[in-house]
Amino acid sequence: MSSTLKISSLTKSFGSQPVLSNLSIEIAPKEFVSVLGSSGSGKTTLLRLIAGFDTPDTGEISIAGNKVASEGIFVAAQARKVGYVPQDAALFPHLNVFENIAFGLKGLSKEAKSSRVKALLDLVQMSAFETSDSSSLSGGQKHRVALARAIAPEPELILLDEPFSALDAELRGRIRDDVREVLDKTGSTTVLVTHDQEEALSIADRVALLRDGNFAQIGNPREIYSSPVDLGVATFLGDSVIIAGVIEGGKVVTSLGNLTPLNSSAEGSRGKVAIRPENFYLQPDLNGDSTVVGRQFFGHDAVVDVQTPKQLIRARSSGPFAPEIGMKVTVWVRGAVNFYPEN
Amino acid sequence: MAVSAVLISLIPLIYLLVRVATIGISEIAELIFQARTLELIINSLLLAITVSVSAVLLGSMQAWVAVRSNLPGRTVFSVLAALPLAIPSYVAAYAWIAVTPGFSGFFAAWLLLTVGTAPLVYLAVSAALVRFDAGTEEVAQSLGATKFQVFRKVTWPNIRTAAVSGGLLSALYVLSDFGAVSIVRYDTFTRAIYNAYRASFDRNQAAALALVLVLVTVLILYFESKAKGQKFTTGKIAGRLGRVELGAWKVPMFLILLVLATVSLLVPLGSLLGWSIEGFGSVDWAAVTGALANSVGLAVSGGLLTSFAALAIAVLTIRHRQKLTSLLERSVWLTHATPGIVVALSLVFFSNQVVPWIYQTTLLVLIAYLALFLPNALAAVSTPIRQSPKALDEVSSSLGLSTMQTLRKVVLPIAGPGIFAATTLVILTVLKELPATLLLRPTGMETLATRLWTETSVAAFSAAAPYALLLVVLAGFPAWLLNRAIRKDLEPMEMERYQ
Repeated sequence: MSSTLKISSLTKSFGSQPVLSNLSIEIAPKEFVSVLGSSGSGKTTLLRLIAGFDTPDTGEISIAGNKVASEGIFVAAQARKVGYVPQDAALFPHLNVFENIAFGLKGLSKEAKSSRVKALLDLVQMSAFETSDSSSLSGGQKHRVALARAIAPEPELILLDEPFSALDAELRGRIRDDVREVLDKTGSTTVLVTHDQEEALSIADRVALLRDGNFAQIGNPREIYSSPVDLGVATFLGDSVIIAGVIEGGKVVTSLGNLTPLNSSAEGSRGKVAIRPENFYLQPDLNGDSTVVGRQFFGHDAVVDVQTPKQLIRARSSGPFAPEIGMKVTVWVRGAVNFYPEN
Repeated sequence: MAVSAVLISLIPLIYLLVRVATIGISEIAELIFQARTLELIINSLLLAITVSVSAVLLGSMQAWVAVRSNLPGRTVFSVLAALPLAIPSYVAAYAWIAVTPGFSGFFAAWLLLTVGTAPLVYLAVSAALVRFDAGTEEVAQSLGATKFQVFRKVTWPNIRTAAVSGGLLSALYVLSDFGAVSIVRYDTFTRAIYNAYRASFDRNQAAALALVLVLVTVLILYFESKAKGQKFTTGKIAGRLGRVELGAWKVPMFLILLVLATVSLLVPLGSLLGWSIEGFGSVDWAAVTGALANSVGLAVSGGLLTSFAALAIAVLTIRHRQKLTSLLERSVWLTHATPGIVVALSLVFFSNQVVPWIYQTTLLVLIAYLALFLPNALAAVSTPIRQSPKALDEVSSSLGLSTMQTLRKVVLPIAGPGIFAATTLVILTVLKELPATLLLRPTGMETLATRLWTETSVAAFSAAAPYALLLVVLAGFPAWLLNRAIRKDLEPMEMERYQ
């Protein structure tokens, strides 16, 4: 009974439309998990089921060892001890910053309450705004207050619903780091749902990839990115170049040469490999068989389209050293690749 | 609570059907298919159609002048255009007839109701015009359209829905109006129902007429809901507002608006004040204060009851939207189709046959108010409740608060001021009610409205004056102010515009 959140075989449909089907996950204490999915993948539904705003059709949810949703059991949201930070922060407009944070604090003396709120204000770096009107805060400040408000009653679990999507790019990165720091300090267990892969990969201990109502893959960010379980995941998370190949003598034989597969497959099996654009190395070579046909320059790096004898590939190259259009190159693939046999 | 309120509000309509069903088909047919009924239908429809057409023309013109023209004094005219809403139509009718004794018949009814309902169109169309991006007109012009083509192809389609729905509201108002048409002696359904009810103890005819009226009204409501279905909203605040140079049209336009203000405001208010001053020495103060006390008492209890019921329904439907609750909400609008006189008549039948002990008691009057004003109250209290987003409820419950605690600590504090304003508005609306109060009040109980009615029907104009004046001052003007404030809440975009 060590996991803080345990979901088993969770299913939810709206009408005849299945949203989540047979979904399971376990989250350890103090772990930070992001649930990554495109819109309509069911991630918000999942969050609402955990929070207790909706009832699952079948399956079980346990929080800190207590069943909160199961057949015949439904613990209401107010009794679950789950902190919730909605997308738009949703501060209570009729209360100031202090009152917002104190909202969920119960059974404390006035002094205890006050010192707890002050500590939280300090934690989220909002001490100067204690008596501010919630409507006078900026987007980032609202999120800090909303986070403090969710942490205040010391919940078992914190849920973040796309909390940074309304912020502009620069602010987003900073708030994201601060939020992670705060949650680490308080030792909170956290589930974040997002459609932003950069966000999911950068903030979390583990990423759970939600696709068609089920987790396609759960793993640490590195694993998910470098070893996608299937072609779908490989193309959803970042770009991938997909090329056909066949296993011969333990190697994958492709139009780009013989590559080393990460996973072992039966001799002779046909399938596809997914290669990340940054795993190509473009060697300038007057006698090379490939030609650079396009280039998009981003500053720190560049994306280069290369016509090889058999197909067009897209490679990522360090910005200042990217080859020019028209240059002849030889294409190398660095490292091992993921091979997905066709069945 | 919510369910029982809705059920009570549905009694009149349901019981009317029950009552008509007991008459027997051949007799109903006989009652309905007589020349008299046909005449009433023609009279009522003629009035409803002519009034709504002229109200649409006038109201749209006023809106356009106020929002889009450069007419000097347009701000003053824009206030004047909405102000007639503050004068109940029967008060206006009394005021007119008191200065022009021959004022009666179709023309009188048409004039009164046109200036009385043009503000409905004016408000709807000016809101649409404010939302409308005048930039699209310039685009159309740059694409080679003439000024007339621009209006027909770009401006009109954007305000059409508002104009049509304002016109249908005006038609609904005409069909349910009882006081004004009765005072100017134009025979419509409502007047005929009242007379049939008064004249005989056989009330079958009144019941049959009431049913036909309900059917006609439902038909109009159906058109209104269709008109609402095709709304263009960009949801964006318009880029900027081009004002159209009126040029040579300035003077005629100015004169038209001046005449309109005279007819809709100057004459009635002048007549009210004149008769009040004239009759000031002979005012029966005891009667006036008695009527005032009764009016206020009935309005406050009726308004509070209705608002409270509306609040329960609003919380239920907005916070816990399920199939049952939205059915509840929709069924409330059924009563909206029922004119006051029909509600009153049906409650007379109901109390006589089912619960005789409430006949001619205050309780029955309050039930009529509940049935009549629940839709208005619901619309008014729903707005502030919707302003408190559902995410706040969810956050609150995730922080450990129960549903009732959330209602008390989150929803009501946020919606409170809006609910207070809405309740006041309902009370003020109830204060003006005439037909149901007239039919259902306990014997001997007089309110401002019934007093005005009685004195006017015997042409005692100076005796009627204090009641009319009190009604305008007490109910009309504050209601108009509050209504404006609530409308502004509804249209924050409009506010930003003017800041």
